[in-house]
Amino acid sequence: MIDLFATPTILGLVLLGTTLGITVGAIPGLTGTMLIALSLPMTFSMEPVSGLVLLVAMYVGAVSGGLISATLLRMPGTPAAIMTTLDGFPMATSGQPGRALGLGVGASLFGGLISWLALWQLSEPMADLSTKLGPFELFSLVILALAMLAGIGDSTPASGLLAGSLGVLVAMPGMHPASGELRWTFGLTFMNEGFRLIPVLIGMFAIGKILQDVTSKDGKVEEVSGNDSAWISLPVWVSNLFNLIRSSVIGTFIGILPGIGANIGSLAAYMAAKRASRNPEKFGKGSEEGIIASEAANNATVGGALIPLISLGIPGSVIGAVLLGALIVHGLQPGPLLFRQNPEAIYAIIGTVLIANIMMFLIMVGCAKWIARLSAIPKKILFPSVTLCCIWGAYALNGMWFDVLVMLLFGILGWRMEKAKLPLAAFVIGFVLAPIAEENLCAGLMASGGSYLPLVTRPLSLCLLICSVVLIIWKRKPKNANTQSSF
Amino acid sequence: MESSRLKSILFVPLAKIILTHFIFLSSLNGEYPSKPITVIVPFAAGGGSDVFVRIFQNAIRKNNLCPQPIVIKNIAGAGGTIGSRTARDAEPDGHTILCLHDGIYTAQHYGNADWGPADFEPIAATGRSGVVVAVSENSPYKSLNELMEDANSRPYQLVYGTNLGAPNHYSALFLQNGFKNSKFRFTQTGGGAKRLAQLKGGHIDVTGFSVSEYQQFKAAGIIALASMGVKREASFPSLPTAKEEDVNATHSLMQFWWAPKDTPIERISYLQNLIKEAMKTDEIKTQFKNLHLEPIVQVGKDLLNTIDLRSKNLENIYIEKPTTMPPLEWIVLIIAVTCAFFVNRESKTV
Repeated sequence: MIDLFATPTILGLVLLGTTLGITVGAIPGLTGTMLIALSLPMTFSMEPVSGLVLLVAMYVGAVSGGLISATLLRMPGTPAAIMTTLDGFPMATSGQPGRALGLGVGASLFGGLISWLALWQLSEPMADLSTKLGPFELFSLVILALAMLAGIGDSTPASGLLAGSLGVLVAMPGMHPASGELRWTFGLTFMNEGFRLIPVLIGMFAIGKILQDVTSKDGKVEEVSGNDSAWISLPVWVSNLFNLIRSSVIGTFIGILPGIGANIGSLAAYMAAKRASRNPEKFGKGSEEGIIASEAANNATVGGALIPLISLGIPGSVIGAVLLGALIVHGLQPGPLLFRQNPEAIYAIIGTVLIANIMMFLIMVGCAKWIARLSAIPKKILFPSVTLCCIWGAYALNGMWFDVLVMLLFGILGWRMEKAKLPLAAFVIGFVLAPIAEENLCAGLMASGGSYLPLVTRPLSLCLLICSVVLIIWKRKPKNANTQSSF
Repeated sequence: MESSRLKSILFVPLAKIILTHFIFLSSLNGEYPSKPITVIVPFAAGGGSDVFVRIFQNAIRKNNLCPQPIVIKNIAGAGGTIGSRTARDAEPDGHTILCLHDGIYTAQHYGNADWGPADFEPIAATGRSGVVVAVSENSPYKSLNELMEDANSRPYQLVYGTNLGAPNHYSALFLQNGFKNSKFRFTQTGGGAKRLAQLKGGHIDVTGFSVSEYQQFKAAGIIALASMGVKREASFPSLPTAKEEDVNATHSLMQFWWAPKDTPIERISYLQNLIKEAMKTDEIKTQFKNLHLEPIVQVGKDLLNTIDLRSKNLENIYIEKPTTMPPLEWIVLIIAVTCAFFVNRESKTV
């Protein structure tokens, strides 16, 4: 493994992949999945190991890059960075953009390393464990995540749930995730897939934010200013050690579950950190614990998602599925045999996760000064270019103008919701989770012949449901209901 | 209906202007292809179908088989129907074509598309992939016949994991049609990787895989009981066919290339030659071997026979709708309205 990464070409590829990944991750509208899918054909003519190294490095870079725009512009560059906007942006607007970036980058590195350890040492038992989760357990897990929406950001429980359920409703049109029948499409073919995640996400956050700033009459726009250092001292990390470990473990494990991935990983870690925190009232207003939880967890999902891929041949994420395709095209047979037949491919993947995380850290810390200046770009240059990127990203997804239209409409919706103080993150997470919940519940019902009983007779499912109920009815500390929402 | 009328008012005149303009230009030099050939792949980039077409793209480019580049456009979603609809409505000038497997038949039969093979000009069928029926290695069933006997004596009890409305659902429907009164209990499981995880975890009893998927997954603890080809699979010569197990069912998957209706015949034959030439290249031969695809290509009469046979096979298939789904959309609507009420009250008290 060491000699593989001692060659300059391979190291160069990791550097290239990580840098490209960070760049697309940071640009709202462009995602790591797009970058990897577009680069896949390029790797056809490369050595299999080189190709894998490049693609995995892009994956690590893309998940990390999202924190830049989430922190400085309050626009998550990738879906996984939604939770980072909650605390990263308030911290940046309070004059500490460097610190916010530094916390995010450091936590990302930590999360990446923990999940790398799990990938290296615990692949097989963890992958086996993940297959024990059937549709009912996955449904209950999603319900638990939805129950967490009630306390998201700085909102009241009712507005969190309202935003979340609106997100769920918006996910309803299109093909039923389980029966495959069409619902609420009004006979329009382009509605068959419903609204897609990327246009909805970048519309709500990027376009919505632009509309909000452009239309604010009194000119009172939250500005990111300050030129502080991104170097975070060791005592800060030590005092957050439990948070770092907990978030990384949550991220790794959720990353393993197919189709659930980075978004829920960072949500769950964030909410767990808030519950455990001595200062929960700071969450949503620039809490360092919030940034750390979200970023440690989303980077940890990368290693997690690769665990079932290399041990069972099951992709744990969309990007995992693309990597699976890459393995096959290169004549490698994914699955348990890969360890024996092509150990060099496994070591290439595992090694790249480690090295790409370290490079990501060095690149981002090294460039933090310049990165933080992004927010100093005048709005009249920044906004049109972000809008163009968003339009390009939405269109490139499927080559359909419908997606661009969807993005613009959701931009307006995001802007209005912001005015009504409804948390956007809850909306988007409801939107992401609804199809997963519905698919698993209905699949479970089809398998049980229509009986709901397994929801409570299967121990793990019951346990998750009890946690959800406790989360909802748990008496929350009375808060000042009139705090101005910074989110 | 509404939308098509709207479309004929708004778009058709516009399309005609563009079309006449274009025909004028292309007849001027009379060449084909005069611009890149776009292949619509109705699934996401990186998936099986996408990789399949990219292999052709790569082989054609490397061997300079076509003066124009091949461009892939992924229009994913809704089981391939959004992409196939786009291809159906594309300009029939041979510069936009579609590559879609057996899903084109099943989506129409399942009722998710009111268009199907008859709405396209078929170009070619390439690369046959076998299908196997598989169980977990801890399963009590040691042969397909035993499994089907059980599905016959205890109907609707064996849980079969599928992707409803997709070809692998139909493999299972062919199986139960081919054996007495056997009935499976179908559940939505999703793509190959999800079916593997659920089979391994004991959440489903049986499922189907393509030979390529099975080759990848078999070491994870699953066993194929039979293949569904007319004869045994070359990669698994000891695996019996369904017919040998007294189940009168065959099924396989092919990738079909389609052009929009009314694409000129000489352009179709150009594309047919291009595909046939590409099939002869080393690139395709190696990749087909990696993917366990039989390197066959059908055009002309053979192709029409294949399409006919596949459409006929579906005629005897009756879909029983799965268990009634809970009306989640209405439940959530009620929750949303309730929350809106509380939010409204909160904002008044503040």
